[in-house]
Amino acid sequence: MAYDKILVVGGGISGITAAVEAAEMEYDVYLVEKEPSLGGRVAQLRYYFPKLCPPTCGLEMNYRRIKTNPRITVYTMATVKNISGGPGNYRVTVEIAPRYVNENCTACGECEKVCQGERDNAFDFGRSKTKAIYLPHPMAFPMRYVLDKSALADGDLDRIMQACKYNAIDPNMQPQTVELEVGAIIWATGWKPYDARKLDNLGYGRFENVITNMEMERLASPNGPTGGKILRPSDQTEPRTVAFVQCAGSRDENHLPYCSYICCLASLKQSLYLAEQNQDTEIYIFYIDIRTPGRYEKFLRRAQEEARINFIKGKVAKIEEDPGSKDLIVTAEDTLSGKKVEQRVNMVVLATGMQPSLAGMELPAGVRVDENGFVEITEGMYACGCARMPLDVMTSNETATAAALKAIQTIVRG
Amino acid sequence: MARLEPDVRTVKEIQAAGGDTVKKCYQCATCASVCPLATEEVPFPRKQMLLGQWGFKEKLLSDPALWLCHQCGDCTVYCPRGARPGDVLGALRNMAVRELTEFKFLWTFYNKPWGLPIVFLIALVFVTLSMSFFMGGIPGIFHWDLIPSLHVEEVHILFLKLTSNVLAIDAVFIPLAGFVVVMVAIGVNRMWNGMVENAGIPAAYRMGFWSLVTTYLGPAIREVLAHSRFKECGANQWRFNGHRMLLWSFIILFFVTATVFIAADVFGFHTPWPLYNPVKILANIGAILLLYGVISIIANRSRAAAEGKLSSSYQDWFLIYLILAVGVTGLLTEILRLLHNGFYPGMYALHLMTVFMLFLSIPYSKFAHLVYRTTAYVFDLYSRDVRAQMKALAPVAAEAAAEAPGETEAEEGEASEASGEESSE
Repeated sequence: MAYDKILVVGGGISGITAAVEAAEMEYDVYLVEKEPSLGGRVAQLRYYFPKLCPPTCGLEMNYRRIKTNPRITVYTMATVKNISGGPGNYRVTVEIAPRYVNENCTACGECEKVCQGERDNAFDFGRSKTKAIYLPHPMAFPMRYVLDKSALADGDLDRIMQACKYNAIDPNMQPQTVELEVGAIIWATGWKPYDARKLDNLGYGRFENVITNMEMERLASPNGPTGGKILRPSDQTEPRTVAFVQCAGSRDENHLPYCSYICCLASLKQSLYLAEQNQDTEIYIFYIDIRTPGRYEKFLRRAQEEARINFIKGKVAKIEEDPGSKDLIVTAEDTLSGKKVEQRVNMVVLATGMQPSLAGMELPAGVRVDENGFVEITEGMYACGCARMPLDVMTSNETATAAALKAIQTIVRG
Repeated sequence: MARLEPDVRTVKEIQAAGGDTVKKCYQCATCASVCPLATEEVPFPRKQMLLGQWGFKEKLLSDPALWLCHQCGDCTVYCPRGARPGDVLGALRNMAVRELTEFKFLWTFYNKPWGLPIVFLIALVFVTLSMSFFMGGIPGIFHWDLIPSLHVEEVHILFLKLTSNVLAIDAVFIPLAGFVVVMVAIGVNRMWNGMVENAGIPAAYRMGFWSLVTTYLGPAIREVLAHSRFKECGANQWRFNGHRMLLWSFIILFFVTATVFIAADVFGFHTPWPLYNPVKILANIGAILLLYGVISIIANRSRAAAEGKLSSSYQDWFLIYLILAVGVTGLLTEILRLLHNGFYPGMYALHLMTVFMLFLSIPYSKFAHLVYRTTAYVFDLYSRDVRAQMKALAPVAAEAAAEAPGETEAEEGEASEASGEESSE
């Protein structure tokens, strides 16, 4: 007996695309997301490639496609616990964590105003706080609050329940388990930034003004911790000199042995953010090779014209902090001149690579990943986006459409 | 445009010598920035890895950077490609030792495991022949009538009063020392000329041997004695102390040997000297330092290998264990003599053989780093000065060039000769 439904694991841009593409081919789709909202990494960006659109652009259009298509069932705060069966007839156990906020929520925000308890905002990589009851981000889907009970202050619960006019807060909500019967599974579990603390010579976590490229996206984002102003963490001033350290963890057998595809472009893009903020910002990009795949070569030219970028061919392997000014001294060998350079800058951005989200995770039976954690495709189990390989948004969407087609083929074959 | 051809033979040679990872390098230069010893002006080892990939032997083997590296292994640990630059530089040093010296078959004996019995045999033949000739054999072990024996209590050569056991040692070790000095001089001379040429030091800045020695050898030796560069290698802290102890023990033992040589051979105060004699006390301190140094080197090297920081080649272990053998046989000889044990002369002969092997190894084994590294230090100090002077004169030179556009090429000055500081044996 074959099932004709499709499970998509992961609700980022790739998973959303795979889900709507399959649903628009009139297949029923379950879309499972472990966070309280869809949107994934794209939602965290200031602009995304190829056309430097803000994330609202792509996400809102896709949210509308989900809302208007009754064939898609979305589960948030949900994780796949178990898989049995095989291609054509998988039985999947999905566990849904309690949100403590039900469908009545209109995201009016009254609860948040009275709540006193705070928690680190993982969406901003801990560079901001949210209340214990919070909206995941301004582009949340579903547009509904979440309650983190562990962050509640004394009396918070009474206050927020009183503030809610819609009876939406349910502190007694229990974890739920659902059993899904699907013919094919698409893994769109995406990526996580590589832990920059493991790059012990680059000082992340020790030096305040060393940040990662994803943190830079949050700083530049209008809904980020600084309201879109790029300010260095130590004194909240605009950095005049910024160094980008390429291949921070990527192309390195001690960390991620592969190229993360987009970090060179991300640094070029972020150079434009800096130039937009202040035309005179002096930028130093330390690189092994500037990799601008395909037509992105044009973007390199654009960045060279619009921002004051100094390119230094040589990987940074040492960063020191001047304790007084909190400036950083970046050491590399300029391999074109053959001299060692020490560049003093106000802020350092580590172009940390993409690690597949599944790396190091305990996986349900039947999912195969390679030694780096990228999903290996087998009959009935497909992967798209960065769960499969490091990619940009455009190519992720292409692989998502392809994965939807492959999933449908499995179902049609029965 | 100049066309560059890789020298595949040299590349294979490097790979065979322990630099098998050289081709993995993709020139990111992580190594040169993590290296605490790489200077701003002439960083390493990224450039050496590139030269190694192309097999540019001449440039590589006359590169002071080879010897400025103390192989702390930081570059190897941080290398994103597993290219192990530290190990590659170690292999290049072994190759450089071979290229710099003469009688290369001796290098082969010292650097291949199968050569070990040959080296031992050479030492055995020289020491037993000499002892047979002057002492009629090794007392208590064998007596050899086949060789005419010059068994005398004392001979007088010029004004020197020499006993047969002193003669037995002198007959072997004085010519050996002479040979080693000549070989090392050849090596240092070649190395220096190569470095001067490679660095493109203009003729006007070249210095004569004596002015080099008087200006830079002192500071270089001070650095060697203090191990200041070795210490700068943060990752080398674990090796630093053992290595320095070993160096100091060699200095002490050299001093003691020289004192005994003069006292016994010239003034006729023949050994053994009593244990309370200050020279004897110093000698024993030297022996203990030597054993402490070499044993801690063994322990630390094994630990570093376990941590993946460096891999040890046959050449590394050969030298370490040879030094250990010198120390152990020396100490055993003394103990057996004090116990009036019959094995004493045999152990003494064995000790002399190990010392012979160690002496002869100076131009051929890893031991050569003693001279070549010191030479590289001298060159480093000298070339820094040259660069600073040239930098200071750069505006003047530019002005002069502007005034006289048809300037003739500076005459190629004679490369300064530097037969260098000799081994301390």
